[in-house]
Amino acid sequence: MSSAVSGSRTSDIYSPHKHRLTPMSKSSAERVKEDPVHPAAERVPEALRQKVCVDLLREGFPRAFAQMFALLRRWDAADPLRLHTLQQRLASAETAETHGQYGEAYDNHMFLARFFTEPEDKWLKHHFIELALHSARKFKMDSGKREAEANLHIGQVYLEKGQLERALEHYEVFYQLTMGRTWQDPSGRMHHSRSCEELQKVFTLLGQRLLQEQDYTHAIKMFNKAYQMAKESGDRGSEGEAAYRLGLAYQSTGDQKTAKQFFSVCMEIATILENADSLGRAYEAIAKSLESEGKLTEATEYLEKFAEISLSSKQDRNLEKACMCLGNILSLRKQYDGAHEHFGRAYEIACNLESVVRLQKARVCAGSARALSMMQTYHKLIETPGRQNIKTIISWKKMRHGSLSAPLEEEMKR
Amino acid sequence: MSANITPLANPKGVKKLCELCQKPAKLQCTRCLVTFYCNSDHQQTDWTSIHGKVCSLLVSIHTPAPFGTLQSDREHHHKETLKKQKHLVEIAHLESQRWVSKKRFQDVLPAALLFLRWATRVHGSSAVELVPAYLLLAQANIGLGSLSQAHEYLSKAEWTVMKTPGCSHTVLHQLHRTLGRLHAAMGKYTSALTHFANDVYYASEMFGLGSTVTSGGYFLMADVFLKQNKPDIAQSLYTEVANSWHTHLCKLMDGISQSSTHPEKCFDEAQCVEADQMLGCILEFEEQCVKPRPEQSAMLAHSLAMLWLLCNNYTKALEYGKKAEVLIQGLREQNRLRESIHNLLQYAGKQLE
Repeated sequence: MSSAVSGSRTSDIYSPHKHRLTPMSKSSAERVKEDPVHPAAERVPEALRQKVCVDLLREGFPRAFAQMFALLRRWDAADPLRLHTLQQRLASAETAETHGQYGEAYDNHMFLARFFTEPEDKWLKHHFIELALHSARKFKMDSGKREAEANLHIGQVYLEKGQLERALEHYEVFYQLTMGRTWQDPSGRMHHSRSCEELQKVFTLLGQRLLQEQDYTHAIKMFNKAYQMAKESGDRGSEGEAAYRLGLAYQSTGDQKTAKQFFSVCMEIATILENADSLGRAYEAIAKSLESEGKLTEATEYLEKFAEISLSSKQDRNLEKACMCLGNILSLRKQYDGAHEHFGRAYEIACNLESVVRLQKARVCAGSARALSMMQTYHKLIETPGRQNIKTIISWKKMRHGSLSAPLEEEMKR
Repeated sequence: MSANITPLANPKGVKKLCELCQKPAKLQCTRCLVTFYCNSDHQQTDWTSIHGKVCSLLVSIHTPAPFGTLQSDREHHHKETLKKQKHLVEIAHLESQRWVSKKRFQDVLPAALLFLRWATRVHGSSAVELVPAYLLLAQANIGLGSLSQAHEYLSKAEWTVMKTPGCSHTVLHQLHRTLGRLHAAMGKYTSALTHFANDVYYASEMFGLGSTVTSGGYFLMADVFLKQNKPDIAQSLYTEVANSWHTHLCKLMDGISQSSTHPEKCFDEAQCVEADQMLGCILEFEEQCVKPRPEQSAMLAHSLAMLWLLCNNYTKALEYGKKAEVLIQGLREQNRLRESIHNLLQYAGKQLE
């Protein structure tokens, strides 16, 4: 590279346009003013841009030149040092490519991809990962390890961009290539298990998107694929999660039986892993399915389990949820006193959590349960006529401004 | 066509000089009466190069102003003359360019000199409009081997560019290309490469990376690299050139097949010959390579076929099309290229019937 530097110095004699720089740099300052996002960013001076490009070309790197030229059109913020690194790496990548050493070209491109870490340079990273993939595809010496890795990286890029389908494409290639291989990443993680995990992630995201579009059939397909991938990855935790999500999808189509099957898978795994949070969620989901099937007693059982586990793991939010659900079920079964009790508990927890929305909901539910329980007693008294009953009602009427229903009950007992 | 004149018989203080060599003139063009030569050889040369096309225009430019009483009449006449002069400059520019493309450098000189003389008269002696004339003259001189003469013209061009702030990238690109040619001819390969690289840079700024104008610079660089005995670099440069031309020609072909009308003239004859020489040279290089790349050769043959088709030379188009077809047969996946070669052969065959 030193020859390049000295060579360009001699070339300045033949570059009479050098003093065009002054108006150019002025316009760059204006541009910085117009663009308030990166006020500190300085545009590369025109002369430096030209020098960097021209140096590449005169040393005989036309592809590197074309890339550099195209990059500098978009890439405004750069310091000479980084430009120099970019220049060198592009040149050595091209040399490697010309001599058919695609492994080296891949390494150079990957270096550049990791070199650009700033969030505004993300597109540069993407660009170089794509180049790395191209080199890796041509490199056959390592039976596809580099190609697999490049596919993983590019999949991540697309995932970041939110292009799920394209991410899926590359992850699938990654999966196929790592199938039956014992490749590991530097941290000792198996590539194939990683591929399963990434695929699981993408399938889940796709499924969630389909759920939002209310396309349940396809969503279930996606969640099923995600579940299979989670099973293959050997990570039991994510297997449980995937089963839970699949169950939820079945639940929203109304297939409670299948839903329950997957919830119990999740439940089993959570019990083995002693994951209280996951176990609680499974209990809750099963209870919900049972409730929609009309099996209220069983549903209550599961909800009580849910409440218990939430209490023991000190998850107040879940406990409050459990109480609310229990209250709801009891009021469905017209056991308003019990319902009131649960709602009251939910209210207290919500107060502790300082969650106004939940607090208000619990308060209203508790109130209405209370009222309904009083209505029951009142109706009973009205329906069976008798002097005693009328008297009871009258005495209650006189005293009701006091405590809530205690007098009435006392009267009734009497 | 020519009449003898005797220098001694000229009015006092008036010197008639030869149009080409500035020696005392002995002949006069009888059509325009304003052009003089020292001998009939010079007259003949000037006639073929440029005078035949501008003789009548010169007459009308030299017509003396009619006796106008009104200011507006005089202004009108002045404007008309200026317009004619600009037209003359334009013709001379195009003609000299055409001779350069045909590589008939001897014929460039009279036209380019006329171009320079009239451009100076219209735009002044230090205008940037003179640069193309200097460059053409330099290129002709490089072609003729008189490098010091070329260097002189190029120095003038450089000086003019230096005096013009905010000079357009087109001019800079042309300047560097000619400078590169000069240095290459002088055997100074390193500085030639620097100039060509600058040329490519400005051309990319102006016309885009993949344009055929830019690829001209790549081609010249490849030539220098070959002289430096670096065939692999030359090959990668040739690949760039071949790709740009192939894309460009395919685009033009698409235009034809979509409009299904008779192809407009996309190139003139000289440009066509120039492109043919360039692509032919690359094709030859590819075929002589140690590691032949049939897909590259097929692409080049396809480009040549398209080029001749676009110039309405269907026989040559067929010839290269068949060559491309042969080259592509040994290859597996090249379906799109195969399809377009097939279409081209059909089209050319139909036109020949």
